[in-house]
Amino acid sequence: MTASELSPIDPFGGFGLGLRRTHYDDFLIGEVPVDFVEVISENYMIEGGRQMRILEAVRSRLPVIIHGVSMSIGSARGLDKDYLAKLKRLERRIEPLWVSDHLCWTRSSAHNSHDLLPMPLTQEALAAVCDNIDHAQETLGRAMLFENPSSYLTFPDDEMSEWEFLAEMTRRTGCYLLLDVNNIYVSARNHGFSEDDYLAGLPLDRVRQIHLAGHDPATPDRNIIIDTHDREVADGVWALYEKALGMIDQPVATMIERDDHIPPLPELLSELDRARGIAEKALVPA
Amino acid sequence: MSVSLADRQEAFLAAILDENAPLPEGWSNSQTAGLGVYRGNYRAALLGALEDTFERTRAHVGEKAFSQASINHIIAHPPAGWTIDEVGQGFDETCAAYFAQNPEVAELAWLEWVMRKLATAPDTEPLSAADFGALAAQFGDEDWAGLRLAMQPRSAVRIVEHDLEGLWRSLGDGNSARPDTRLAEPKAVIAWREGERPTFTLVEADHAAAFTAMAGGTTYGELIALLLGDEAEPDEEAITRSAMRAGEMLGRWLTEGMVVAINP
Repeated sequence: MTASELSPIDPFGGFGLGLRRTHYDDFLIGEVPVDFVEVISENYMIEGGRQMRILEAVRSRLPVIIHGVSMSIGSARGLDKDYLAKLKRLERRIEPLWVSDHLCWTRSSAHNSHDLLPMPLTQEALAAVCDNIDHAQETLGRAMLFENPSSYLTFPDDEMSEWEFLAEMTRRTGCYLLLDVNNIYVSARNHGFSEDDYLAGLPLDRVRQIHLAGHDPATPDRNIIIDTHDREVADGVWALYEKALGMIDQPVATMIERDDHIPPLPELLSELDRARGIAEKALVPA
Repeated sequence: MSVSLADRQEAFLAAILDENAPLPEGWSNSQTAGLGVYRGNYRAALLGALEDTFERTRAHVGEKAFSQASINHIIAHPPAGWTIDEVGQGFDETCAAYFAQNPEVAELAWLEWVMRKLATAPDTEPLSAADFGALAAQFGDEDWAGLRLAMQPRSAVRIVEHDLEGLWRSLGDGNSARPDTRLAEPKAVIAWREGERPTFTLVEADHAAAFTAMAGGTTYGELIALLLGDEAEPDEEAITRSAMRAGEMLGRWLTEGMVVAINP
């Protein structure tokens, strides 16, 4: 399946949350004011049990995006067949709105880091990523979204910027972008690039979803910002979100992403309301 | 000559797993500092997964001892598969070595692991004792002798020497006082799922070999022979006793909902 044979992903302009165990009852008992939920794919690449039943119950009422952390799209050794088969089975079972993962790699020939490791930004790496995306999209029979990562180091022999890498990746494979605004904020400060250059260099017409999350700021002992998803979205990230929305012409789905120290649902819904307010403002002509 | 992407990834992950591994050529302090973050993430993710899976084991041995056993485990068994849940595989063996003076810890860790695996096992409908009875009403001697059972997927059994029921309940209630858990004699613990809920029970020790054999495809006739043990020429009374014992076990497995089909 070539890039031109993939069905395009239509824009969808909703506001959603990650579905986490802590909030299962909220979603099962009542109406939660969200337009979609996103789940970590690997948590549901299972055979049965309560977790799967809950996902199916939520899916009967809301669009679900399945968002992976272990595809390892940047692996030089290709994709894991067992992983892809299980992801495809989940995709068939849930019929998600979208399937996404990250621009990163997670495993070597023998081990798995269970972390999103940084890609060297080289032509060789770009070719490997594009081959793997072609493989994944062909297996799933649909275009995917890939998220820009946060990172804590760059490689001395990088041949291009991250936005140039992402732009060429989307052009070659027909995939779409999940723009994590917090990750741009974090990486810009860790590596000293301009957020404006980053946004201006991306094919923003390929963005379908935006992630907003919190991070652990740098400290006197650690000159690195860490993408933790364990606290509220920082003011600087909200400002960058507003800027990004002002540059994107099509509707995008916005999500608050919280994976640790997960607060009661109303707190996350309040953050989502803030995103709604910013989005409404961005739509008003200046 | 430049290093291939595959080699770079091997070296990078090796450096995350082993702080003494050589760093890639040309790296400066900034790359080394960044690598430190990835090392921390790796360790935190795996330790977090172990804490999440082995809540009761952790409560039983205490935070510090659990943390040390966990570090031993992830160093000895760095994960290979795509699912982080697999990091708990073999943790009971790590506990058996680390807590050798407290053998109940390994038994508890084994139980938490199989309960975790059961939670995501395929959904099945148990074969009720009544439905089995209706099917068995048509059985002749050969049907009984050749009868095979399909047990619930991922159900598990092992011999234990400690009262896991009491320990499990006590740890679940958050009690700090631990009961004296050593059993008067070893028992078998069988774990399975009731609907969506993983559960377990302690039964007589001879269930362990019998359940394992039947789950592995042994016939009911072979089970009776297994229960006879090593007797070269068993008398009629011994055969009857074994057949009755097999019947008791079968009845228990059916009543508890551990059997999902016959002659799969």
